[in-house]
Amino acid sequence: MIWYQWIAIIAFIICAIVLASDLVKLIKLGNPKDLSRKQGNVPAAIKYSFTGAMSPMAKESAYQHLPTYIGGLLYHMGTFLSLGLFIWFLINISLHAEMHVAIAIIFQIILWISALSGILILLKRIFKQELRSLSGADDYISNILTTLMQIATALFILNTSNEAFYFIVMALFFLWLPFGKTKHVLYFFAARYHLGYFYGWRGTWPQK
Amino acid sequence: MVTIDKEKREKALQILKNSNDSKLLTHLNACVRCGLCAGSCMYYLAMKDAKFIPARKVDLVTSIYRRYLTTQGKLMPALFNAKDLDDKMADEMVDLLFGGCTMCGRCVKHCSIGVDISYIVKKGREMLAAMDMVPKTLQSTVDAAINTGNNMGIPTEEFVDTIQWMEEELVDEMQDANARIPLDEQNKHIFYTLNPREPKFFPLSITAMAKVFYAAGESWTLSSKNYDVTNYGYFNGNNAEATQIARNLYDEVKNLHADVLVLGECGHGSRANRWEGPNYLKKEYEFENITAVELMAQYIREGRIKLDKSLNKELMTIHDPCNLIRNGGLLKEMRFVINSAAENVVEMNPYGNDNFCCGGGGGKLAMSEYNERRLKIGGIKAEQIKKTGAKVVITPCHNCVDQLVQINHTYKLGVQIKTIAEIVADALIIDKKQ
Repeated sequence: MIWYQWIAIIAFIICAIVLASDLVKLIKLGNPKDLSRKQGNVPAAIKYSFTGAMSPMAKESAYQHLPTYIGGLLYHMGTFLSLGLFIWFLINISLHAEMHVAIAIIFQIILWISALSGILILLKRIFKQELRSLSGADDYISNILTTLMQIATALFILNTSNEAFYFIVMALFFLWLPFGKTKHVLYFFAARYHLGYFYGWRGTWPQK
Repeated sequence: MVTIDKEKREKALQILKNSNDSKLLTHLNACVRCGLCAGSCMYYLAMKDAKFIPARKVDLVTSIYRRYLTTQGKLMPALFNAKDLDDKMADEMVDLLFGGCTMCGRCVKHCSIGVDISYIVKKGREMLAAMDMVPKTLQSTVDAAINTGNNMGIPTEEFVDTIQWMEEELVDEMQDANARIPLDEQNKHIFYTLNPREPKFFPLSITAMAKVFYAAGESWTLSSKNYDVTNYGYFNGNNAEATQIARNLYDEVKNLHADVLVLGECGHGSRANRWEGPNYLKKEYEFENITAVELMAQYIREGRIKLDKSLNKELMTIHDPCNLIRNGGLLKEMRFVINSAAENVVEMNPYGNDNFCCGGGGGKLAMSEYNERRLKIGGIKAEQIKKTGAKVVITPCHNCVDQLVQINHTYKLGVQIKTIAEIVADALIIDKKQ
C-alpha cells in the first residue's frame, strides 16, 4: 500500500472512532427520563418520524423549497455512494477486481449530479444574504470538502491516475467529518429519534 | 448593563453540561444551518429580518456549547463557528430567545433535520436565568406567582368575592339554589384550576365551566389560594421557580384530597403541569392530571352532558394553542368537543399541528417591552382569522384569548373570542329533573 492510502485509512479509522464514541455517549445517556404520564405510542411515533414525517409533503422545509430539497437529497445520495465506493476501493487494493464500465459510468453520472448539487447549495449559501448571515467557516469547509470528495470519487472511478488526489481528499474529509457540521451523519438520526420520542410521548405523532 | 464574569459564564455553561439523557447533546449537535426553517417562523415571516431565523436562535446557544464544551471549538473557534459568551452575545440572546421566539415549536416540526429548536431556546433561557438576565417584566410575573400564589397578585379576598359573585350568577342562571362554585372543599373528585386572567378580566368563563360541572353533576372544588394553572417559571428559564409554582398545585391537590387535577383552559399552564410538572418535582403524580378539554370530551362521550349544537349557529373557527395541540397532542380531542358543541366550524389554514402561534406565547404577554413585535407577528393570525370569515374564534387558552382580543382590536377583525367552556356551556341542555 502507498503512503496516501495509509493516510486515508488512518483518517477513516479516526473518523469511525470519534463517531462511535459519540454514539456510545448518546446511548449511555439514553432516553429522556420523563415522569409525566405517557399519552401516545412512542415506537410508532419514532417510526413516523423517520418515515411519514420525512415526506416532502409533511415539511415546509421541503415543499416550500423543492429545488433545494431535491438538490439536498441528491447531494446526500452522492455522499453515501462515495462512502460506499471508498470502502470498495479499500477492499479492492488487495482484490484488484475491476468494476464493470457501465456501472462505473452510472456511478460517475450520479456523483457529478450530486457534486453539482453541492456546488449549487454552496453558491446559494454564498450569494443569499440571509443564508450567508447564518454561516461560518464550518458551513463552507463542510460543503467544499464533501463536494470535493464526490468529485474526487467520480474522477477516480474510471481514471486511477488520480489515486493520490483521491485518497488525500478522502483523508481530509474523514478528518473533518466528526468535528464539523458533517457530524450530522450521526446526529440527524438521533434528532429524528428524539423528535419522534417527544411527539410520541405526548400523542401528537403519529399524525392521524 | 450586565457584565458576564467567569462565575456567571460558568453557571450558564452548567445548564449545557447538566443532562440526564441524550436529548440535549443531540440537539446541540444536529443543526446544519440550512436556514429552511425561516419560512416556518412567524417572527421571520412578519419581521423579514434574518436574525429571527430559528437556526440563528439555535446557533446562539450551540456556538457557546462549541466554544466551551468541545475540543475543536476550544482549539479553533473560528473554524467551528464557536463563539464567546460575552456581554454582546448575552444581550443578543435576551433579544432573540426571550424577545424573538414564542417557543411555539412550529419550526421544530418543519425542520429538515428534526432539531428541537424550542427546546434549545428554552435551554438558552435557562442559561440567561442562571446569569440573572431574565427580562424584569417576566420575572415580576413569576415573583407574583411565588409571593402571592397567582401570577397577577390577586388578593385572596378579592378572588373569593369574585367566586361568590359568579356563584350567584350561576344560581340565577340555573334557577337552582344548589348550583355552586365550591371553594377549598376536601375529598372532591376534581380539583379545578384557573388562569388568573379569569377572575381578573373574564369571570364569566368561570361560570361557564361551573355550568358544565353542574350539568355533569360533578363533585369538584377550587382552591382559594392555589388555583393558578399558569407557570411562567416555564418561560423565564428558572427551573427552581417553575418547580415551586408546580409544587403549589401539587400540594393543594394533596391537601384537599382530590382525585383528579383538571387544568383550566391555559396552554402553557397545561404543559407546565401535565408534562413538565412531574419532571420538575421529580416524581410521578399519584393523581390524574388532565386538561379541561379532555374532561369535557369525557363528559360528552359518557353522556354526562348533553349538547345542542344548534345553539351555537354562528360561523366559528378554532385557534390551536401550541402547547395543547402541537406540544400536547390534543388535536382530535379538542375538535371532538368543539364539533359536538358548535354547528358551523371552519378551519384556519394552516391549522392543527401546523397552526401558527397567536403571538402571545413564550411569556410574551408578560414582557411589555416586546409589545410592538408581539402585535406585529399577531398579524399572521389576524390574516388567518380574516380568511375564514368566522365571527367567533374558539380557543382553550386564556393567554391566547388575551392576545387574540388585542389582535382583534389592532387588526379590526370584529370577531368574538371564546373559550371551549363558553361554547360548551352555551350548547348545554340542562335537565332540570336531575
